[in-house]
Parts: sequence; structure tokens; C-alpha cells
Amino acid sequence: MTAPAEARRLRFLPSGTSIHKLSAVLTLCLLITVFSFTSSAFFSVNNGLTVLLQTSVIGLLAIGMTLVIITGGIDLSVGSVLALSGVVAGLFIKAGLPVVPAMGVGVLAGAACGFVNGFVITKMRITPFVATLGMMLIARGIALQLTGAAPISRLGEAFGELGNGTLFRIVDMQANGFPKVIFPGIPYPVILLAVIAILGAYLLQKRQFGRHIFSAGSNEEAARLSGVNVDRTKIWTYALSGGLAGLSGMVLMSRLVTVQPNEGVMYELDAIAASVIGGASLMGGVGSISGSMIGAFIIGVLRNGLNMAGTSAFVQMIIIGVVVIGAVYIDQIRNKT
Amino acid sequence: MLDVSSSNTPLVQMVDIYKQFGGIHAVEGVSTDLYPGEVMGVLGHNGAGKSCLMRMLSGAMTPTRGDIFVNGQKAALKSPQDARGFGIETIYQTLALANHLDAPANLFMGRELKTRFGNLDEKRMLAEATDALRQLNPNFKNLRDPVARLSGGQRQVIAIARAIYFQAKILIMDEPTAALGPSETAMVADLTKRLKNEGIGIFLISHDMEDVFELCDRVMVMNKGRNVGTFRIGDVNKDDILSLIIKGTLPDDWEPRGANKESSK
Ligand SMILES: Nc1ncnc2c1ncn2[C@@H]1O[C@H](COP(=O)(O)OP(=O)(O)OP(=O)(O)O)[C@@H](O)[C@H]1O
Ligand SMILES: [Mg+2]
Repeated sequence: MTAPAEARRLRFLPSGTSIHKLSAVLTLCLLITVFSFTSSAFFSVNNGLTVLLQTSVIGLLAIGMTLVIITGGIDLSVGSVLALSGVVAGLFIKAGLPVVPAMGVGVLAGAACGFVNGFVITKMRITPFVATLGMMLIARGIALQLTGAAPISRLGEAFGELGNGTLFRIVDMQANGFPKVIFPGIPYPVILLAVIAILGAYLLQKRQFGRHIFSAGSNEEAARLSGVNVDRTKIWTYALSGGLAGLSGMVLMSRLVTVQPNEGVMYELDAIAASVIGGASLMGGVGSISGSMIGAFIIGVLRNGLNMAGTSAFVQMIIIGVVVIGAVYIDQIRNKT
Repeated sequence: MLDVSSSNTPLVQMVDIYKQFGGIHAVEGVSTDLYPGEVMGVLGHNGAGKSCLMRMLSGAMTPTRGDIFVNGQKAALKSPQDARGFGIETIYQTLALANHLDAPANLFMGRELKTRFGNLDEKRMLAEATDALRQLNPNFKNLRDPVARLSGGQRQVIAIARAIYFQAKILIMDEPTAALGPSETAMVADLTKRLKNEGIGIFLISHDMEDVFELCDRVMVMNKGRNVGTFRIGDVNKDDILSLIIKGTLPDDWEPRGANKESSK
């Protein structure tokens, strides 16, 4: 029942989503400024790249998580699926498959887990929370069972390439014969995150599939009545989230050059936090990849900055917990207005 | 069973339709039909089963029992897509809008326009939506706002525009003017007449007697899930209809007001 005059005025104000994104960017800048003062080494190219690298895994998870959250769902299984995908890839490499196809199989294993999530949610009508909670246990259980809870190591140098390689590394040979690193290079995981984020944003904003994700999350019944295949949309969304969990598993395990079946515990919470800080609404229908990337970096910078300032891991937990609650609180206020 | 080529073939025939939800009998043995260029009013008290009956024709709900024929051929309407395939469009009582999306996105929901490369064609959707909405409400603004921020009337206009944009042959309007102001209501009345003249068959659910007598060719009255009578509009007056709606029967002294009583149960 907006009066026309008010409606006209409202259009000049940024919409709710962009206000939220703006405040997230400001928060990020604030954090960077504060940490630059608390630690002299914080604001440097090297540390910037470290933050980027550390954030890439959560960033990849957050992209899939955002799509899921926009459909009105949640995916608690990504941390476990990440581990299972790594285990699958590791076992295939041990069985003699080359690294690239083995990693491909790992990603597909993740997508398969997501597909099962989608199936259970849409066809068996189990709520996303319960379905993915179940998958969280199942995937972790399989990963531990397959490996006997032991890490898989000696996977070869090629396995470490994705997680440790860099692009545009500039090294200068000095007169004294020692190499000097002028630019440490952009880590592959960072490039991967950028590419996937752009693809994700394209999918969400420009493709019919993305529009259907929004429709299904905004009003499932309306979407169904309008001819959107809601079940198929959701199944593919969960499969994408699982696939991205698999991909982030490849990045993480490759960085460690070992497959750790107990890696990725509680990563789903970071991914959810990143999405929510970035403006995704747990009620569905709202969210963006760019927002979630900002959210992921807020968490990444927070972790890194607190580390460099010498804050204990326990205090970090407390602070991040507070940030998450704060973000969800903002989310709720936004939904009320 | 029916001659398809015959001009007397009803556009829609619903035969002995039942719908149960557990112990609730929402629709019980209702039969009705609709001819091209005809407006059939569907009347009844709240909870009489009007929306349920129509949702079964929209493919939004499957009947417990009963058959639906479109153009004389038996139609299995298992989903809204199936119904659209038969040219059936619906303005739902609940409007069926996605609140977070803007008007063009809602108008084209499920049938998005795409460019050559398969991307969403936002420009064309906006232009088409602007045209479609301005036809119903020349002052329609805020096209890019999420529809949650629009007024009830504006939202209803979007739902109506969506149903007529895709050139329905059969249109179901479930209380289409409930939230509209007088000028928009008149616009919808004009639109209804225009569509009717184009040969479109319309089911119109309404509680507004003025509208019903102005627009409908026939009316059917539902009472507690049953069809308690179908009449040419000329054969009944307001009191007859009210009696049917409230008591489920005609006044004791009733006889056809116009020429011939067409059918009743
Ligand atoms: N999805 C459902 N599940 C259970 N019962 C339902 C459902 N939909 C409708 N009903 C019941 O079926 C009956 C008929 O409802 P319906 O919506 O068709 O009424 P209506 O004639 O459209 O009423 P109104 O004029 O208020 O719109 C009601 O008793 C309602 O409670
Ligand atoms: Mg109704």
C-alpha cells in the first residue's frame, strides 16, 4: 500500500540488498584498517595473497552454499563432502589414475553427494536441514571408513600443484646467486575462486536456471504454479553445492599434498556465515555471489588479522561466533522491514 | 466420445469431479462445462470449493476422481505446465507471485524470454511487461521494484497481465478484482468482455454480484463442495443466487425468470 510519492522517493535509495552489501564492504575495509594498525605485517602484498589463499576454500564452499540458501535451503554436508571427495581422489591416484582425472572423479563424487541431498529433499520431502545433516554424517563416515581414518600421503608432486602453484611469479636472480622473489605470484586457488565466482554470478543473474533458483526460494508454490520445475532446480542446486565442495576438497588436500579424511570439519558453518554476512537470507529468495565473496573475505581477514595480532584460537572462535550472530540479526531486521 | 469438429463442442467439460483432503470433501461430484466466448460465473460461500475446482483445471491440484475434457478430448492435467499446454491460464486467488522478484520477472516466471545465447533477455521482458501492465493500469510504475513493495492492486494487475499475456484459450479468474480500485476493476471488466469477444472461455470466481450480472453468460453455484445449480444469467436474479449460495436451494416459489431454464441439479 505504498503511496506513490513514497514509492518514488524509495526508488532513489539503494535497495535493501545493496545497503547490506555496502555495509559488508565497509566492514571489510574497517577490519583491514584496524588490523593494519595492530600488526605491521598485515598490510602487505604477501599477506594479502595469504588471505586470498586461505579464503579460497571457504569462498568456493560459499558459492554453492549461497545458491542453496537462495532456494530457501541449507547444506550442512559440505565440510564432510569436501573430505570424502578428497579421499575418493586420493584413492584413485593410489590406484594408478593420473592426478587430473582423479581430481575430476573426486569432484563428481561431491556432486553425487549433492545430488542425493537434492533427491532426498525434493522427492522424499525431508527438510534440507535434516537431509544434509544426515549426509554430513554419511559422507564423513564413508571418508573415515575408506581410509581407516588415516591420511593418504605420497600422492606425488603433481597432486600438490593445484593448491601450491602460482601464476605470474616473478623471481629475480641476484648478483650474489640467490634468487629474490619480486612478486610471489597469484596462487592457483585464488584464480580458481575468481573464475568460479564469476561463473556462479553469471549463472545466478543471467541464466534461466539462476532465475528459477530465486523463484523457488522466494515463493515455491508460486514458482510451481508458474511452471518452474522446482524439484529439478533444487536437485541441481544441491548437486552444484556438492560439486563445489568436491572442488574445494581438491584445493585443500592439494595444498596439504595429503588427503586428510578428517579435514573440513565445521567448514559448512564458515560457508553459511559467509553467505549470510554477504546478505543471503535464510528464508530464501535473497542473496548474491558478490555478497558472499565479501562475506568470505570478512571471515578470512578476521581470522588472519586476529592470528597476526596474536589472538588465541579460542578468542577467535568467540569473535567469529559473535559476528555470525550479528549478521543473522541484521538478516532478521531486514526481513521484518 | 465427443465430436471435436462440432462448433458445439464445449471448450472445457468437467465430469463428476471429486476432491478429498483426508476427511474433508472439498469438491463432491461437480460437473460443469464452458463454451468458447462464454463467461461462466462460479459462485459460492467461503470454503465452498470454488478454488479447488478451478485449481484442478489449472493442473495445480489433481482430482481424487473425475474426468476433465478439453475440446472434447480427455486431458490429464497433472501439472500447471500440462494445463498451459491446453491453453489454460489462471489468475490464482493467492496471486502466485514471487515477492523478491520484480514485475517482469514475475510476469515471465517459468517462461523467461532468452537471447540467442540462452541468457535472460531482461530488456525484452521489461519492454513486454511494461506494455502488458500499462494496458491494465496506465500509471503502473516501479516495474523494477520487488513486488513485495507494490500495492495489493498492483500485484493483482501483475497476476492478471501474466494470465492474458500468453494468449489463453481458457482463462480462470479466481477473484481477480478483490484488491482493485474502481477504475482498475472497470478495466478488468472491459478486458473480460474483450477476451470473451475473441472467443476465449472464462471461468470467473467472484463474490461481487454487480460484476457477475454484468459479465457472466451463465453462473454455477457451489455449496459445500457440490454444484447446486447452473443457470443462464437471465433466468435468475440476485435473490435466487443468494438463496443458492446460502441455503443450497432455490427459493420455494422459483421459476425461470427468462426464457428457459438451462440445467440444474
Ligand atoms: N490444500 C488443502 N488441504 C486441505 N484442505 C484444503 C486445501 N485446499 C482447500 N481445502 C479445503 O477445501 C475447502 C474448499 O476450499 P476452497 O479454497 O476451494 O474454497 P473457496 O470456495 O475458494 O472459498 P473462498 O471464497 O474463501 O476463496 C475448504 O474447506 C478448505 O479448507
Ligand atoms: Mg477461493
